[in-house]
Amino acid sequence: MITAGCDVGSLTSKAVIMKDNRIVAREVILSRIKPAESALTVMESALQQAGMTLKDINFCVGTGYGRDRITFVQEAVSEITCHARGARWLLPTVKTIIDIGGQDCKAMRIDNEGKIVKFITNDKCASGTGRFLEVMAKIIGVTLDDLGGLSARAKAPITVANACTVWVQADVIQHLNDGIAAEDIGAGINNAMASRMAVLANNIGLERDLCMTGGVAKNAGVVIALEKLLGMTIKRIKKVDPQLVGALGAALIAGDKCERRAAS
Amino acid sequence: MDTDKWFSKLLDEPLNELVQKSMDEGQIPIGYSCSYVPEVMLSVDGLFPVRMHATGIAGTEIADNYLSSVICSYTRSLLEFALDERYDFLRGWVFAASCDHLRRLYDNLEYLKRPGFSRILDVPHKTGDAAINWYTDELKLFAKALTDHFGVDLGADALAKAIREHNAFNAVLRKIGEYRSGDKPVMTGTEYHRLVIAAGTSPKKPLLPILKKIRNDLPKRDPLPPYRARLLLAGGHLDDPGYISIIESQGGLIVADRLCTGSYPGLLPIPETGDPIAALAKHYLTKTSCPRMMEAFRERAEDIVKLARECRADGVVIQILKFCDTWGVEAAAFVSCIREAGIPVLRLERDYRLGGEGQLRTRIQAFIESMGK
Repeated sequence: MITAGCDVGSLTSKAVIMKDNRIVAREVILSRIKPAESALTVMESALQQAGMTLKDINFCVGTGYGRDRITFVQEAVSEITCHARGARWLLPTVKTIIDIGGQDCKAMRIDNEGKIVKFITNDKCASGTGRFLEVMAKIIGVTLDDLGGLSARAKAPITVANACTVWVQADVIQHLNDGIAAEDIGAGINNAMASRMAVLANNIGLERDLCMTGGVAKNAGVVIALEKLLGMTIKRIKKVDPQLVGALGAALIAGDKCERRAAS
Repeated sequence: MDTDKWFSKLLDEPLNELVQKSMDEGQIPIGYSCSYVPEVMLSVDGLFPVRMHATGIAGTEIADNYLSSVICSYTRSLLEFALDERYDFLRGWVFAASCDHLRRLYDNLEYLKRPGFSRILDVPHKTGDAAINWYTDELKLFAKALTDHFGVDLGADALAKAIREHNAFNAVLRKIGEYRSGDKPVMTGTEYHRLVIAAGTSPKKPLLPILKKIRNDLPKRDPLPPYRARLLLAGGHLDDPGYISIIESQGGLIVADRLCTGSYPGLLPIPETGDPIAALAKHYLTKTSCPRMMEAFRERAEDIVKLARECRADGVVIQILKFCDTWGVEAAAFVSCIREAGIPVLRLERDYRLGGEGQLRTRIQAFIESMGK
């Protein structure tokens, strides 16, 4: 059985193809303006890797903010359900999942069967999302990938008091002009991001095991700061890029649907 | 006539075609903003009530100069519309001191744009006999003020007639509502809410024959296409059917509501016997079911659970306006009570102006998925 998941996010689009419960292809691209185009491009690239065409896919599920505009999927499922499904497949003991994407962040709690018990998402503000880190990395002059590593080298992290991305930008520029080291500014930004996530995570009532998905899970500075704030270890996802968990969950849900269809 | 489009158009502007027509016929529009204001008393002898709304508002740039950003967006939107002269057609308005936000709106309007008739009703925070007697006296003073200003008859006979007409009108709306709650609904929650809001914001007399025709035609309709879940929508003020439309676009059919601006408890009949003002005071004080009322949390929570079971709702969605203090506290406690009753529940915060559609769709879809639907 060959299934696929396509996650069209605001910043990146992801695709995962699975064959008999094993990942055979994965792809991440920067999203384009039109979700339908992003979906086609990322899926074509993944299919090329797998040496397949769309006709070879038995069932495909779409997710992410652009899920309703993907033309080739059989069904669209919310990213909350997909991240939960993907995280549980990767870490079967997981009960709480924190997902920070480009434009939103969410926390969800699942039961022993993987069913979502409670979830919470951020509001319209960008301050607790990947976009916040992207903006800040650009101002400091580091890549998004390098921002996480700054925390480990920081000596006196700055305190980011404001919750607004625009105001934080002004603060960061002020600190740079004052000659504060990029490491201390970066660590302060990672800590601020973790603080915002901690509020969201505490809201749903944390339960062990806890893991993080989405692109921000790759930022070690945020993950370590969040562990300190929550007083709980965050299990690392190692089998795949955490950014792909939504697409992976979609592919797994596609498999579930195929099996159900075959059974009926 | 495309009924859906016609009703949508009625909600586009406070001064809609039915309001204009009634004014042309010499009727007097009086605005009001809270369910504690007895609209029956504004439906006598040439007066007609208009529930104030600001549907389609683009921003509150002027109102933000007068009301802080932690005042709810419904309140700020009303002030914006009033300052934008969209309510200049009203000959008076009546507020209720139901929450601090609406009181601040009244204060600002008194200062910025007082119409010929302006009143705020003091509403007790309890619903016992003493409170009902007190509210009866308050409504008597209100009746006298209306009579003194507009020269209208608010005597016992006139009020009794208004109550009968109010009940007859609401009975038609309630009957229509049954067609979205049955086993095979033929009407969406969006369509029904549009009718209910139009009924509150337009004169009732010209609307009644149209609603009766809808009621008579509904049994001939085909059932709605399959949907994923039956939902009950609860919460405070909601006058935009577009919000319900987004929920229903994800397969969650709204089969019942418990909203300040909805069908329950707003359409319940008022007793037609005894002193009409006393009956009105008791009805509006005890049936409005607002979280501002003390000592009645349990009843309000049980009411939602009972309603959800009666209409076989798979889940409850509670929507509240951001910064609404009363509903903010109540909704948090409701979530636990409804969940304890074994009914899945989702709490959503929103702005008065419809926005964040993508996020709303995701939350609703995830909620329905979490129910295994």
